[in-house]
Amino acid sequence: MALGPTSSAIHITGTGPHYAIKTPQNVTVHPVALFTILDHYLRRTDQQDRVIGTLLGRRTEHEIEIRSAFAVLHSETDEQVAVDTEYHRTMYELHHKVNPKEVIVGWYSTGSNLNTYSALIQNFYSLETAPHPAVHITLNTGIVEGEEAGVKAYISSPVGVVPKAENCVFVPVSVELRFHDAERSGLDLLAGTSTSTTATSPQPVPDLEVLETAIQNVTSMLDRVLAYVQSVLRGETKGDPAIGRYLMDTLGASAGVGEEIGGFNGSLQDTLMVSYLANLVRSQAEVSARLALTTAT
Amino acid sequence: MAAALAASLPAPSAAPAAPQPKYEAIPASMAKVIDIEAEIPLTTIQLDGMVVTKIIKHAREAPSSTAHGLLLGLDLDGTLEVSNSFPLPYHTHDDDEKSVKAIARHQASMLRSLKEVQADDSVVGFYQATTLGAFFSQSLVDTLAIHQEKLRHGGVVIVHDLSQTARGNASFRAYRLTAAFMDAYKKSNFNTARDHVLTRSHDSLINHRLTFSSILEELPLKIRTNPLLSSFLGTLTKAIPSTMPDATPLEAYETAVSPSYAALDLGTAGVTRNLEQIVEAVDAYRTEEGNVSYLIRQIARERAKADNYIAKRKEENQARIAQGLAPLPEEDVSRLFKIPAEPNRLESLLLLGQIDAYAKSLGDTSSTSLAKMYAAKASAGI
Repeated sequence: MALGPTSSAIHITGTGPHYAIKTPQNVTVHPVALFTILDHYLRRTDQQDRVIGTLLGRRTEHEIEIRSAFAVLHSETDEQVAVDTEYHRTMYELHHKVNPKEVIVGWYSTGSNLNTYSALIQNFYSLETAPHPAVHITLNTGIVEGEEAGVKAYISSPVGVVPKAENCVFVPVSVELRFHDAERSGLDLLAGTSTSTTATSPQPVPDLEVLETAIQNVTSMLDRVLAYVQSVLRGETKGDPAIGRYLMDTLGASAGVGEEIGGFNGSLQDTLMVSYLANLVRSQAEVSARLALTTAT
Repeated sequence: MAAALAASLPAPSAAPAAPQPKYEAIPASMAKVIDIEAEIPLTTIQLDGMVVTKIIKHAREAPSSTAHGLLLGLDLDGTLEVSNSFPLPYHTHDDDEKSVKAIARHQASMLRSLKEVQADDSVVGFYQATTLGAFFSQSLVDTLAIHQEKLRHGGVVIVHDLSQTARGNASFRAYRLTAAFMDAYKKSNFNTARDHVLTRSHDSLINHRLTFSSILEELPLKIRTNPLLSSFLGTLTKAIPSTMPDATPLEAYETAVSPSYAALDLGTAGVTRNLEQIVEAVDAYRTEEGNVSYLIRQIARERAKADNYIAKRKEENQARIAQGLAPLPEEDVSRLFKIPAEPNRLESLLLLGQIDAYAKSLGDTSSTSLAKMYAAKASAGI
């Protein structure tokens, strides 16, 4: 699942004894972090070209998982760049209290240009995350014409004979969007909302409506598969044996019709029973609440 | 939690200071929608996309199923726009003085920090995660009651159902306390006494006609994505041609967000859990009812004793009057017999509400699964 335009960068990772601290090979981002960055960008002041903030998440041996983010104050002028480190500290402590498992893994900025100031800020965050490398995420919001919205991740390495804070190479790292099942239904909800004309959607959505959408989705996929199979049968396209086998495995899964009839009837009765029980409990509760309101008089 | 909130919330902001002369006059087009005194009642709640993901994340990761946090935002012309939220730390001992203070401090400094980055910093309510729809609890009601006093528009609660979200339908609902309940709560008198001789209490469940369904009123909730988020989501869900070199068929594509089929899951694992919850809630209700009826019996016994005493005294007096003696004074019986106070029914009311919510979610699940089963039956060709 790629985020944004494809890059031609090759991701090389050294594996040798002298790589004591493993450089991350993969960065995954949760939707919450991305949406927080977008919100921060939306609330920037007129003077700010870009906004920056801290990324929080977890670190495994080869992977960095960015789970949330918060905004940090900073100012950039032609002569200097300043990051409000005290603010950054306070916010981190506040987040840490709620979610102790999340640590600082790096920083984000909007827009996709990397400059000297980026190197300086990167240097600051590297000190925060030491001994692990800091990740830098650039999120292009896509509002500048000609640039595509997308997310890129970098780690830095020092450059030059004498390493200086303002000099570094940003090495691209592959970045992916990652979410859990619970988050995905929220994402579906938002994706549905964003395509509606008013950019709003009423809540709650009835379960059956969600089911209907899912079934329609499956139906359209089956149609696509059917169209493909028929065109192969007609000889218009060359069949791909891998796809054929895959389809066979998937569609052949619902074999053994005979034994399913009993199972179906059984679980139908169970479901009806549960439904009856639920209604019974509800009416009992209602009656009980009303009985409490009656008096002997 | 309730106490902590009370400690840290700003004092009831009666009205933001009157517009200073240096401000521009409110344009005529906006004059109707700007209300300084919070006079326009809330009709809808609008939840920002970022808040949706934040709540889901917190609810999923919280150690207990009762993740809660505060909602920040503004109201405009009857629509409460919730634009940000932050989680509150989880504490096992809510009444602990120390943790109450810690939460209050946490909240105050978070609000201060958010203000610095131009985020909304006015608390408009709180959110609460729940499983299987049962969110009635004493602490929820207490918190809402505190908010009612402290916040503009009285505060709302947004309830997020974890179990429904796991089934592929992210669910958010907004509630606030009804005026009738608030009235009864202020007098904190949740008994069924109407008015009798000994304890004259008029305010009660009966007078307010309170059942569990009239504690909270639901407000319509909308989800909104701002244009920037919409366009970004559009990029994420846009189908891009597959990068695989030998991708066939030609229209093969991939997106960063693949479609979800959690809604099609036929499994009934949740039903067992739901049934267990109902049984537990019913048990708790039985215990509570037992306590209440014990108290009622106690009251009846004491009252019978008092009535007996009065009757006896009257009889005696009549006998004395017949004999031409001065009657004995009719003493204050309430001093002689201690009649216990009417039992508090709030707890049992809330438990009934919980039972109802569990049963409702069970009913919903089973009706959907019925539809799914017939769909599966048709597709399996039985």
